[in-house]
Amino acid sequence: MYKKIIIPLILISGVYADDDRWGNRNDVAPVKNAIYIKECGSCHFAYQPGLLPQRSWTKMMGNLENHFDSDASLDDATTKYLANYLKANSAEKGIEYKRSRKILQSIRPNEVPLRITQTRYFINKHDEIPKKMIIQKEVGSLANCTVCHTTANKGNYSERAIKIPNYGAWKDD
Amino acid sequence: MKKYTLAILLCGVIANAGNFSPSMQGYIETLKSEAKQADSSFVDFNAKRGEKIFTTKHIGKSDDSISCTSCHGSNLTKNGQNPTTNKIIKPLGPSVNKSRLTDIKEVQKWLRRNFKDVYNREGTALEKGDVLYYIQSK
Repeated sequence: MYKKIIIPLILISGVYADDDRWGNRNDVAPVKNAIYIKECGSCHFAYQPGLLPQRSWTKMMGNLENHFDSDASLDDATTKYLANYLKANSAEKGIEYKRSRKILQSIRPNEVPLRITQTRYFINKHDEIPKKMIIQKEVGSLANCTVCHTTANKGNYSERAIKIPNYGAWKDD
Repeated sequence: MKKYTLAILLCGVIANAGNFSPSMQGYIETLKSEAKQADSSFVDFNAKRGEKIFTTKHIGKSDDSISCTSCHGSNLTKNGQNPTTNKIIKPLGPSVNKSRLTDIKEVQKWLRRNFKDVYNREGTALEKGDVLYYIQSK
């Protein structure tokens, strides 16, 4: 009896969670954690935890002293706090979000990618972009999400919101 | 006696005006006593020495020759930029960025990380104090 009511309710709440006022669905759960934004967002875009699986975050948080050729170490309490936050919001925890689901599906079970840019889904989505658009100084690398994805901060990576510096909109064929 | 103490305190406050915040001054004093312990001839930190540490290139963690200026730029009253991620770094100079050198925890965190990035080791108390004097002067 209850199941009949509760399950549809859960489904509905899942569908409408994090929609903006125009009903645009976010691609990945947006980041709302101020400590994550402060600590991880000071050197780079605070990538949504839903862009990588739990095992990737766990591996990354276990070696912040050697974080992509940089020392990103934190005190033990903050490291533990953020590791838990990432774990609780990893791609597996947000499969109702399109990008989390697709990234997850594109990673083999034995793979533990540390770079979102090296997941198969990401590569397929970006492999047609001419190199000159990426290496120009306004962009630098594909890890610099927000410079082209104007709504990346909100967890929205829709094609409509792409604006590549000096080149403008992007249409995927 | 009370007046005398007050005068000393007041002198301290005046001498410190435009310098480190009271909490940071506490950290500077800790570094001073560590520096003194390491070298009994130590007198005070020096912004000029700090500038040299800040601007000298060294093979760092990434195997590239970098200095603090690689990210922070050589003008500390202007924005810097992380060359790997392109992220803008707000000015380090407290004269234009009041939040700099106010939070000891933050200062310690970045000194630890950035010495390792540039010099592949942590800074000594003397080096950290010198660099802080240099940044504070900007």
